[in-house]
Amino acid sequence: MTISLQPARAQPSASTGGETADPLYRQIRDLVYKVSGIYKVEEKLYLLADACGRRMKQVGMRTLREYWDRLTASSNRDAELRELLNEITIGETCLFRSQPQLDALRKVILPELAADKTKQITKRLRIWSAGCSTGEESYTLAMNMLEESDRLLKDWTIEIIATDLNDRSVEAAKAGIYGDYALRNTTDFYKRKYFTMVDEKKLRVRPEVKKLVTFSRLNLQDDSRMLFMKGMDLIFCCNVLIYFDGASKSKVISHFFSNLVYGGYFFLGTSESLMNLNDQFHLVHFPGTIAYWKPSLSSGKL
Amino acid sequence: MTATIRERVQRIKTMPAIPAVFLPLLKLLARDEVEVEEVVRLVSYDSAIAAQCLRVASSPLFAMSQPPKSIKGAVMSLGLRRVETIILTCCLGQAFPSKKWALDPIVFWKHSLGCAMVCRKISEKLAGADREKAYTAGLMHDIGFMVNCMVFSKEFAPVMERACREEIPLHEVEQATMGFTHCESGRALAEKWALADDLVEVISHHHTVENSQKAQPLVALVHLSDLLCRMRGMGYGYYERRKVDLIADPAWAILQQEYHDLEGMDLARFTFELDEAVEETHTLVSMVFGPAPATSEI
Repeated sequence: MTISLQPARAQPSASTGGETADPLYRQIRDLVYKVSGIYKVEEKLYLLADACGRRMKQVGMRTLREYWDRLTASSNRDAELRELLNEITIGETCLFRSQPQLDALRKVILPELAADKTKQITKRLRIWSAGCSTGEESYTLAMNMLEESDRLLKDWTIEIIATDLNDRSVEAAKAGIYGDYALRNTTDFYKRKYFTMVDEKKLRVRPEVKKLVTFSRLNLQDDSRMLFMKGMDLIFCCNVLIYFDGASKSKVISHFFSNLVYGGYFFLGTSESLMNLNDQFHLVHFPGTIAYWKPSLSSGKL
Repeated sequence: MTATIRERVQRIKTMPAIPAVFLPLLKLLARDEVEVEEVVRLVSYDSAIAAQCLRVASSPLFAMSQPPKSIKGAVMSLGLRRVETIILTCCLGQAFPSKKWALDPIVFWKHSLGCAMVCRKISEKLAGADREKAYTAGLMHDIGFMVNCMVFSKEFAPVMERACREEIPLHEVEQATMGFTHCESGRALAEKWALADDLVEVISHHHTVENSQKAQPLVALVHLSDLLCRMRGMGYGYYERRKVDLIADPAWAILQQEYHDLEGMDLARFTFELDEAVEETHTLVSMVFGPAPATSEI
């Protein structure tokens, strides 16, 4: 079988430089950070400018100043901010989205968790992909776990629980069919090993990968259901909390904290942070990525 | 062992190609009061260094909108201490090996400059911290690696190789295989150069902050900045398999005791902002190592 999907790349419609010179973009960047915890660095500011440009076109605005007023002073500013966040995170979903996160997982976290669990009789790893959208992250995690199943995770039971609010996303996730754009970061090695061909443009995730993942619909704000998501070793929740207001965000984060086992990790999107919304988690660094850690009981750092 | 290190470091006559103005400049830096004229006169001995300083001064890292026309002009707009650190950066950048180093010199300087910059950026958030001192400390903290590459090259080459292969911190491998680290060899060089006490302390103890006797907050600052650099793409050019919990690090508490505003720092955002600085540092490194521009009026 030959699989020759052309690598497709995200194309920014504007180039860096003049377009982001307006200081209002930095004000918008700060506003977006304050509300969502997403921080666009200087080199990525053009993406923010692009998103603003698309929104301005949709609402028929000519100047950035007008748009700034819409974001900050108009009666529908909350709705507008939501639309803008949508535009900012659009197209960020793909398989193997963050290699530094995967490296941290396989090179640092799994060895640590494996060492902690050597004494336990049942070796089980539970991962929650919260806000899994169309399944890219969930399957990426599954494939990476399978890669370790002969080594670090030999004789382990791996469960990946993937949830999303949107029924249609969950259905698409279950199907597990992806095109060039979603596969732009997936190497031929993974394409050959874990996918079958649907047609020239699309690949389907193999059954042995699907077997690891359970998809279901879940509202993160449904407190009673959140109480039943216990015993997670890892939680991934990328670009989901950005849409929540401060109070709901804090609540969801404390659910995540109690759903994690001691010594478990919580990952957000690559440019996303909890700001100072929670003081129980420890912000920890791995090469090229950050995560939030629920300190283990033995570390004495609670 | 320490005696042997000292002896061997003493035998180094000069570091390769370090400009002659470097040591006199360090002496100036150690003094409390320096006249602008002294610095300008010193630099005027080396027009290549002077020209390079002017280029570097216009980089975003040093925040000059208009490239300065002369060293004096740079001093006027940036302040004497900032210009001194720029000259120091340029001088050290000339320390380029005549033979191959086990640690790629470009990687080494990216880390040193990166650390200098992170030290300054953190100290900008701390009321009362000396930013230029922080920068200088970050820039110099790893000079021990220069010694190890030049004087102990036979012993150090396998250290580098093993650290890369096993993805573990360099100083741990140094200790395990050579019986000393770049902190001890750096200290020997710092003493030979008669660096200020606080810099000697940073060079000797940036991996063992709790053992430092003097200038502990500065040592802690460099320790934390060094870790951050290594986690954000300005390390030693290889993947370090490790988790870093900066806030739980004893150095964080030491720094916070001295500067209470550290508590309010948004570490996640600071981390993201650093990624912008990575680019700036790379540009600066190519500037420092780039060919010296045609001599202009100094």
